[in-house]
Amino acid sequence: MPERIHMPFRVALAMIWNYVKVKVSEQVKAVAFIIFYLVAFKIIVLNTAPDNILQISAGVGLVVFGLTFFLEGLFLGLMPLGERVGVQLPQRSTIYMIVVFGLLLGLGSTLAEPAISALRLAGITATPWETPLLFRMLEVETDNLILAIGGGVGVAVAFGMVRFYFGIGIKPFIYTLVPLLVGVSAMFSRDENLANILNLAWDTGGVTTGPVTVPLVLALGIGVSRSASRQESTTSGFGIIALASLFPVMGVLALGAWLNPSTPLPVTASVFFSQENRASALKLVSSERELQNIAFQRGNEAARRAFFANELNYETALKDLADPEKRHKFLGRQSLDEWLRQRASSSERALVAIELSGKPKSGKIEKNQVPELLKNESKSAVRAIVPLVLLLLFVLLVILRDKPRKTDEVVLGILFALVGMAMLTSGIRLGLAPLGDQVGRPLPQVFRSETHEEGRIILEPFDPGTVLTAFSQNGVPGRFFYLRDRSGVPNPVPFEPSRFDRQTRRYEHIVERPPLFGPELTMVGIALVFLFAFGMGYGSTVAEPALSALGTTVEELTVGTVQRVGVVRTVSLGVGIGLLAGVARILYHIPMIWLLAPAYLVLLVLTWFSEDDFASIAWDSGGVTTGPITVPLVLAMGLGVGGELKVVDGFGIVAMASVFPIMTMLVYGIIVQMRQRQILQADGEGSHEE
Amino acid sequence: MKNELAKEPRAAVRITLMAHQGLNSRVIELFSSLGIHSMAVESARCVRQMMKNRFWGLPGLRAEFSDTATDIFRTTIPSEAAEYVLCKIIEDLGLRTPGRGAVYAQNLHEISCREFPEIAVGKVNADMLLSDLSLITGIQSKSGSGENLFRVALKLGAGVPVVGIGIGSGIRDRLGLLRITISPEKELVYLMVPSHDADGLQSLLIEEGHLNRPGGGFLYQAPVRAGMVDPLIRIGRQEHAASIEQIIAAIDDLKKNTAWRKRFFGLESGAQNLATADLSHREISFFCHDGQGDNFVRAAMRAGAGGATVSRVRALHLKSEEKERSVPCEHGIFCISAAIEKQVMQTLRETAEASPDQEWILQSMAAASVFAHKRS
Repeated sequence: MPERIHMPFRVALAMIWNYVKVKVSEQVKAVAFIIFYLVAFKIIVLNTAPDNILQISAGVGLVVFGLTFFLEGLFLGLMPLGERVGVQLPQRSTIYMIVVFGLLLGLGSTLAEPAISALRLAGITATPWETPLLFRMLEVETDNLILAIGGGVGVAVAFGMVRFYFGIGIKPFIYTLVPLLVGVSAMFSRDENLANILNLAWDTGGVTTGPVTVPLVLALGIGVSRSASRQESTTSGFGIIALASLFPVMGVLALGAWLNPSTPLPVTASVFFSQENRASALKLVSSERELQNIAFQRGNEAARRAFFANELNYETALKDLADPEKRHKFLGRQSLDEWLRQRASSSERALVAIELSGKPKSGKIEKNQVPELLKNESKSAVRAIVPLVLLLLFVLLVILRDKPRKTDEVVLGILFALVGMAMLTSGIRLGLAPLGDQVGRPLPQVFRSETHEEGRIILEPFDPGTVLTAFSQNGVPGRFFYLRDRSGVPNPVPFEPSRFDRQTRRYEHIVERPPLFGPELTMVGIALVFLFAFGMGYGSTVAEPALSALGTTVEELTVGTVQRVGVVRTVSLGVGIGLLAGVARILYHIPMIWLLAPAYLVLLVLTWFSEDDFASIAWDSGGVTTGPITVPLVLAMGLGVGGELKVVDGFGIVAMASVFPIMTMLVYGIIVQMRQRQILQADGEGSHEE
Repeated sequence: MKNELAKEPRAAVRITLMAHQGLNSRVIELFSSLGIHSMAVESARCVRQMMKNRFWGLPGLRAEFSDTATDIFRTTIPSEAAEYVLCKIIEDLGLRTPGRGAVYAQNLHEISCREFPEIAVGKVNADMLLSDLSLITGIQSKSGSGENLFRVALKLGAGVPVVGIGIGSGIRDRLGLLRITISPEKELVYLMVPSHDADGLQSLLIEEGHLNRPGGGFLYQAPVRAGMVDPLIRIGRQEHAASIEQIIAAIDDLKKNTAWRKRFFGLESGAQNLATADLSHREISFFCHDGQGDNFVRAAMRAGAGGATVSRVRALHLKSEEKERSVPCEHGIFCISAAIEKQVMQTLRETAEASPDQEWILQSMAAASVFAHKRS
């Protein structure tokens, strides 16, 4: 090797600067859309300025740098490593070894990437009485659920490798798996209990494959198919992720079918929490204490009354809520404000408010949580990346007795990926998720026609003598008084005699927020929700790192015939449409199966007309869409809209967001194919051989 | 026996076929019927201008670029069979119809352990071949500052560029970890042009493609023994019964050469400021198993080569125990001055002989008019 060239420091700095500039500006472009969209929606539609601007900007900055590092790490370290293993595996080991390795990798990646936490978050509102099976799977049988999902991914990766090894197309898998899954789902949808896990099952398909697994599995698949494929197809190497979004669905459905006979049927909350039912309730919930928590965190007033059975205990418990020391015993991580807003009935609110007013107002103790957050996220980044890398390195170094092509680059890449992942996830927690929350949660305001309670103010002492009378146009008298708003401007507010307590001279004023578009304009509101869903799906997917990796790989393998930008935009468009469908499902209470079955039917037809190569790319893109950026934003919106409409869970949106990208990609592929074919068919000869 | 073969460079002909991907299986069928059982396949794309109506019915046309997936097949055959094989390929694949592909043959010397295919040469009408062609190969950084060569080529109407991708190595590898700041991805642009216009077109390409700037790229010519070009530069909307490209192809066919369309006059005197001399360089290629490429590149650079571009190819073996065995391989190209050919080939051969498998091939062919930006 010729001498190493030593660059003068200043030249080196200029080179690094240039490189960083290019890479960062790429990510700025990717993230810009979603940020501007969210902020614009917040300001223009919701009519409020974003809170916590400083923290959010810092978070967004972290997201940009995190993405830059992470993607660079993928391309430098993880993907070359995966491909190296993939190329060497078929040459230096047996098919059994490959299958075992695939199983381990799939299982390991599920255990490493905490997709399950996203699922639990989506199921935070699932209750053990309305949806006992769903609750049981998410909260009680969590380990089995993870195992079912991980097993599904493992089987998928193993099957994917076998597929490359023997040169089988993706289509046979799709034609058998999809009808099977849809059929089973249709059957399940007739069972009271099983119907509720359908959404969970189909969501897992999208959630399981995270930003580390996707590129790694992609690279691995390309490696294996490069060295093992018999047929001379160029873009094969795709398709594992597609299988990895189908097999886990099967795993979850199977787990559901297995658990179903031993799970009680749905009942009403008061029956569930009644003393007579306690024994069967404790089958689902580990302890009495846990049951109490659930009554508070997920139940309504009836549930709590039924739980405590006698009035006195019930009221003592409510009073305890006012005490910050005892509060978390009931509410867990939920804050009191949140609980009051979402769970409490108005009588409970009143009770707690009275109790609260007696206590000194505890100032917001907001410790600086940032270092803690960074530490946690770094830990989970290490957990997501290191075990998988170790598995790959073990296989490469020990079993295949080979080494990475450029060791220094791979090491640097893995470091980049670690740093990037930690920065990315902390950035999301600090900036993107809160921003999404600020827009997603109040989103129902835009379509709701009633006024919305924002908070309560206790006025004490209140002088009823200050109440004035005002007349309406047709002479009906109404009473009002003046209240200064935060900026000190006096505003007339209606006086409600029932809220005035003569003995304590206490008046409770409810601050209401009028509907954003007036009571009649809900159609505009719903259109806005759809617009928001679409834009958010599009924007967040454009920034998704796994998609970027997929796009780059596709562009590379097709030597630019299919461009990265095209792939990213098509998939993002699909996610946008998917979110639209998901929100429509929640708004109009469409059963999941009515959306899934036709969508998958269309997919099957489109797949029939696609070439195998492109079909696998398209089916893969369903799995890559839902990553660290999309999921928190989608969930915030789903929970916001769903919570408002008292929908049982926030599931189903993710499933929709993985179906429609497949559809758009298949259509895109068919268009690309047709264009390519045009030239050949110019002489009237269809020379395409199947 | 094998080592005997490996000792001396043998003269042969490389057939390069750039065919539309849809023709893939027919190409393989044809090759095996001709008796050619091993070939290297590289994925590439073919770029054409797509003429479209302007938006909202505005008058005029707008030009876009349209990519077609193309496979490049490379195989080596004995010298005497070149014309026969070329004609068979052209006839069988209908390459005279624009848009289906291009094919050409180049003389070279090969060092390898394999035997050349035995081809029963039949009688063909070799008149259809064009014999005055040159191949311009441009290697450009994908993310570099220069204008894309294929765009320039299309704008100049020089021919249909076929673009492949490769990984470059050279100075970059000597920078230590700082190398990651430079993208190694290169685009290889293959462009077949009439040889009498080659120099003129080359200087235009250099100028308009900004190759004469630092990091702009690298470009050279190689002589072509005979071949057939794909004249379909423009697709899409067309306003006459035959496009101008089809008319050109028809006249080429009638005249059996391309000299009639000479467009640069007075350039062949060497008045350009290119540092060229005819056939002063050699294009060295190697084919080896995936993963071995780095050794070859390192060896060549030790022997004085400036840098290399390595592309991924698949070696297809049609005649083996398993039918259609496909092996991932690497194809590297160096362009070196003829003076150091001997020592480079020597080092490469030593590297090759040390490699664990015998499936390597070294080839050397004449190249001319090498251009690269020189620091002045």
